[in-house]
Amino acid sequence: MLMRWMFTAALALSGIGGSLQVAAADERDYMVVVNRPNNLHVIDLAKEQLERSCTLPGDSAPGTVAMSPDNRIAYVLAGRFGKIWGVDISNCELTFSAELSYDNVRVKSLASLAVSPDGKEIYTIHNPTRIMNDHYKVLDSQFAVYHAGDGLDAKPQRLYPVPRQINIMQTGDNGMVYMSGADVYAMDPKSGDLSVAIASRSGVRPGYGQPDILTVWPIGRVSNEFIRMYSVAKYGDVEKSPEATEYFWGYERVDLTTGETAVEDFAPLEQVLFTGMHRPGHPNEFYAVLTQLKRHDVKAKKVIKSIDLERTYYCINFSTDGSKLYLAGTYNDIAVYNAETLEKLGNIHLPGGDMSMATSQVFSAPVSRLASN
Amino acid sequence: MVKSLNSVVRRLVAPVGLWTATMLAPLYATAEINAGEELLRNRCMGCHVPEQNEPLQLSRISHQRKTPEGWLMSIARMQMVHGAQITSDERRTLVKFLADTQGLTPQESAPYRYILERRLNHIEDKQPQLAEMCARCHSEARVGLQRRDAGEWEHLVNFHLGQWPSIEYSAMGRDRDWLGLALNEVVPFLDKNYGLQKDHWQQWLDSEKASPIGEWRLVGSMPGRGDFHGVMKVIADGEDRYRLNLTGKFADGKSLRGKGQALVYSGYEWRADITLGKEKFQQVLAMNPQGDRFEGRMFLKQQETLGVNLTASRADKPSLLAVSPAFIEAGKSQQISVRGTQLSGDVSLGPGIEVLKVLKRGKNEIRLKVRARKGLETQALDVRVGEQNLAGGLRVYDRIDSLQVSPAYAVARVGDGGGSQEKVKAAFEARAYGAGEDGVNGTADDIYIGTMPANWSLAPFDQQAIEDRDLDFVGKIDRRTGVFTPAAAGPNSKRKYGTNNAGRMSVIASVGQGDNKQEAKAELIVTVQRWNNPPIR
Repeated sequence: MLMRWMFTAALALSGIGGSLQVAAADERDYMVVVNRPNNLHVIDLAKEQLERSCTLPGDSAPGTVAMSPDNRIAYVLAGRFGKIWGVDISNCELTFSAELSYDNVRVKSLASLAVSPDGKEIYTIHNPTRIMNDHYKVLDSQFAVYHAGDGLDAKPQRLYPVPRQINIMQTGDNGMVYMSGADVYAMDPKSGDLSVAIASRSGVRPGYGQPDILTVWPIGRVSNEFIRMYSVAKYGDVEKSPEATEYFWGYERVDLTTGETAVEDFAPLEQVLFTGMHRPGHPNEFYAVLTQLKRHDVKAKKVIKSIDLERTYYCINFSTDGSKLYLAGTYNDIAVYNAETLEKLGNIHLPGGDMSMATSQVFSAPVSRLASN
Repeated sequence: MVKSLNSVVRRLVAPVGLWTATMLAPLYATAEINAGEELLRNRCMGCHVPEQNEPLQLSRISHQRKTPEGWLMSIARMQMVHGAQITSDERRTLVKFLADTQGLTPQESAPYRYILERRLNHIEDKQPQLAEMCARCHSEARVGLQRRDAGEWEHLVNFHLGQWPSIEYSAMGRDRDWLGLALNEVVPFLDKNYGLQKDHWQQWLDSEKASPIGEWRLVGSMPGRGDFHGVMKVIADGEDRYRLNLTGKFADGKSLRGKGQALVYSGYEWRADITLGKEKFQQVLAMNPQGDRFEGRMFLKQQETLGVNLTASRADKPSLLAVSPAFIEAGKSQQISVRGTQLSGDVSLGPGIEVLKVLKRGKNEIRLKVRARKGLETQALDVRVGEQNLAGGLRVYDRIDSLQVSPAYAVARVGDGGGSQEKVKAAFEARAYGAGEDGVNGTADDIYIGTMPANWSLAPFDQQAIEDRDLDFVGKIDRRTGVFTPAAAGPNSKRKYGTNNAGRMSVIASVGQGDNKQEAKAELIVTVQRWNNPPIR
């Protein structure tokens, strides 16, 4: 174990695994995840036990979580896709609340939530609809900036136009916000300048079909990446004949430290997968999950190992050192696996109902801050 | 007026009782039909803007036409989502009023009657302009059974995205500029093909309407029970309202007898609730403009996939409705019944069919013992009684060249198991064909012989179904009737992944024995419950 830690630490120093968060002496891994009807759970991953459960002011869906950079505040997009709450995970205190809807405009956000590197701003996407007496009018989507210090009735401080169909977002170390839409966009939240980081719909690769992308899970903090998976057809001839067409899983990735982007097919499309991310410290290993848990060799575009799960899990995540992985979502237990062997290590059962499409976030934090006693 | 999405969703996920409670027929309103306009003023004008007083024109409402079921769904949505306060009686009155004043003509509803008739396994021949935009979530019929002006279609697009924001994120929405396509391509298409076209409706309104009062003779068939015939007596019970008595019999010997109530909308849309023995049926029929013919379906209210395809003819007018059984093997003799109304004159069954004995000669039924000459080739024969003709009414066959299971693709749904949704069954028929002149099966000149009794069985559809042991979990098919009953709903710990009792089956019909044995397959998807089951899916 020590050897592996040293190896991964060395990788981190060499820059390959820049994602590794090297824990301070009194720190350990925690997970935050939301489930029905209105719970936000703080889990001690070292003990694989629930540390505390906070009560949210309303419905949990979709349960998208983004942590503040100091990992003190869990920001949750919930309230039926229409509210953002900030919860101090050391004492369950509600520090922030924003109702996205206003006047006669109903606003929904499809899993769009991120926090600035200094922790002072919270970002989301507004998808507004003006509700008139006898008709609806769909309004343009907007990038919305809230101030974390605005308390329990926060209003957006800046709004910028953005394309429709944006879902997940992540903040880079440089302050840029990477967003998943028709393309992967990079938004400068200071100016509202929008650029294309990865041309996806607008830049279909020669010989490929248009990738199909579904994600509502902004995972990847522990591997320091904005990540979304696609499925795609790769044609073997100009006629695009079915016999010559291959189908692949791939990912579009932004390194949150360097801003470097990558588009990689990583495996043949064999089963449906919902989430995937790189193993911290192992840039050539990509794991993905739904009904199977799969470990992939990216360069070889091969499945290293695949196991059938006891049930479906939507949301994958790793321990900060990449040694364990945690499957969340769907029902109300988190399955723990050895990341190297895919051997199951146990389950962490949550009080309450389904996690459904909630996003788990893993981070390390001081025990002295989060431990109950 | 607008409620939070929270309350909207809570109400939308539990509409089953509401749809059941608001079935269209019978609609015995205490108020008169002309109370409809008064209800529009009192119940709808809180939100809908009056554009004209005499006659009353309201924003949105006056720019649409649809079926009774379509109006019911709109009003129910106003109640569930927008908090409209309307009693059940008032809603019935409003549906009747709107379907009578802003309905669809018989020609307009004709292409999409399958959806009104709850033919849940009908495979739509979708128009490419609507297939992915509209019919990936609901039937194309749901769109095609509406008439709106362009502004109204545009409102509908805005409503869809406002009410269901995930539309532009789900499959076949997320890979394109959904809103741009909807507004710039689909709205003009809908306006051109399904525009308000008030003149069409006015012409229909101006035409003389027939009355259904009187006696009707019914024929039809039901999967698993065979041919059906019966009598329906319709008695007036108020304006456009009727009471009815129905008696009937299936080929398997089972009799039906019962009473019901009916209402006619839009001058031809017959909707009835009937209790036959212990079973509650619903009739969705269309009356022809002459008022002497009904076409449609009578189905079990709680199991809509099980029903009788019905044709009815007015008893006091001559007609030739059906021959039962409608096929005979060459060289064999058997009894047949020729059914119709006011049957008189000579009976002709076509060349090679000899009447051995007249067993019964009535004006509604002629029962005969007949023989088909040996050596006759498979063909459809025109049947004549006096001046009445039934083209292809009797089929003679020398052999069955091919067999098809209908529907070729069906969906059943797990249910019960402690959940709110009942099981949704699937019913199959084995249809026999002759190859026709070209001797090749599956070509245009194939001759439909008839629906054959078959032995029914299930098999895994593919390797995945074998690996997942679908056959052990999905449910059972009745060997004799071809009716599939799915298993209980809910996660099953005995299954791989702890999944529910879903699966993919081949449904196999076997007809004949030995060298004459014929088999055919259909695909059956057994899947999870539908939680929202409005009249128009």
